[in-house]
Amino acid sequence: MSASQSAVRSRAEAVKVSRTFDWMITFTLFFVILGGYHVHFMLTGGDWDFWTDWKDRRLWVTVLPIVGITFPAAVQSILWYRYRLPFGAILAVLGLLFGEWVNRYLNFWGWTYFPVNFVFPSNFMPGAIVLDVILMLSNSMVLTAVLGGLAYGLLFYPGNWPIIAPLHVPVEYNGMMMTLADLQGYHYVRTGTPEYIRMVEKGTLRTFGKDVAPVSAFFSGFVSIIIYFLWHFFGRWFGSTAFVKAA
Amino acid sequence: MAATTESVKADAAEAPLLNKRNMFLGAALYIVFYAWVRWYEGVYGWSAGLDSFAPEFETYWMNFLYIEFVLEVSTAGILWGYLWKSRDRKVMSITPREELRRHFTHWIWLIMYGIAIYYGASYFTEQDGTWHQTIVRDTDFTPSHIIEFYLSYPIYIITGGAALLYAKTRLPTYQQGLALQYLVAIVGPFMILPNVGLNEWGHTFWFMEELFVAPLHYGFVFFGWAALGVLGVLNIECQAIAKLLKKDLA
Repeated sequence: MSASQSAVRSRAEAVKVSRTFDWMITFTLFFVILGGYHVHFMLTGGDWDFWTDWKDRRLWVTVLPIVGITFPAAVQSILWYRYRLPFGAILAVLGLLFGEWVNRYLNFWGWTYFPVNFVFPSNFMPGAIVLDVILMLSNSMVLTAVLGGLAYGLLFYPGNWPIIAPLHVPVEYNGMMMTLADLQGYHYVRTGTPEYIRMVEKGTLRTFGKDVAPVSAFFSGFVSIIIYFLWHFFGRWFGSTAFVKAA
Repeated sequence: MAATTESVKADAAEAPLLNKRNMFLGAALYIVFYAWVRWYEGVYGWSAGLDSFAPEFETYWMNFLYIEFVLEVSTAGILWGYLWKSRDRKVMSITPREELRRHFTHWIWLIMYGIAIYYGASYFTEQDGTWHQTIVRDTDFTPSHIIEFYLSYPIYIITGGAALLYAKTRLPTYQQGLALQYLVAIVGPFMILPNVGLNEWGHTFWFMEELFVAPLHYGFVFFGWAALGVLGVLNIECQAIAKLLKKDLA
């Protein structure tokens, strides 16, 4: 190509071309990252996310932020550090939520007839907003990992509380005490219904009573810090522009 | 004067930088096709897809599988073959404007890859979870697998392969070797398909639909991470496009 020739004919055209690429790139990034993030998330934390009777005070609160902070950290590492775009975590989480909502409505409800108030996805938006804001204000990966990662774990339960609270009220059914969410699971029998496979409220932490969710959230925040560090560097590797030369 | 008039005529006749018609038609093709597939699942999943030993299962589902195998192999052969056969043998001597036009066409391919990977990795993969939580499988070729593994995955593999081939055969940017992250973004999700072998082998031992997060499924997770290779493609493309536009945007 000749260095003297220009690809565009005016500055206005250059601006238009640049904006058009912005939209095409955003669309592609959104859906490709959505695909990878969703397959990762559904197969590492999915069961706790699919059904309200799995959304307990312990493992739901612990597992989901840990497996959920991965892609936001990786996407941030490119969008912020290369392009100064402060919405990497939100882009990833919005993609995940889009994929989940479409699926829960069209397939969980539309094909297999589970009601939406039994299968709605978890909300990661508060944690994603905090991750992006901390990175934008501090421009520090370490601070974002430590404060943002911790906040990602701590905010998950309160961020979902207004949605899940009505389903955590206790009910007595056939002489047994359970939550409304448990009752939903009891009525909507699945191949995963057997109690030996449903990992909710395991262990003696339940005897801590009201402290279960905060302790779980704190632990989740701790692990999320480590996972953030790890995935930040994964993201950098995936952003590499290296070419493999033919032998 | 005559030369100026000729130049204006040439501009008017020149193909647009971005062929929007192709972009929207391509997107519509995937969306309409998958809407039809979802309709088919809704009707024949329940009426003919519950018992793999029933004659209607053979009619509506196994025949669907055989047809899609033939169509996928043919489509991949024709599309990839065409892209290779019609490659530009003087790719390093194209004009900057032609190069920009080809970057736009390349991004149309990447948009199609985005749509295809959304349907494969997100829509039909999670859909498989709810089907297996509802119907106990008696075959590897369940209605949800026939769509998820053997239709939606090959479609994103064919699309991704076409995007990579287009870049490699028509864009100067990709002549310096094989872009590592482009390979990761295409070959990684491709490996999800062979990983179905592990998945099906494992399911002949255990009814893992009881637990979607079972370790048997972690192969899918690992290869799903490779979708992040799109970040590397983004970086390569942004550098190339900025180089083409830089002096005009400065």
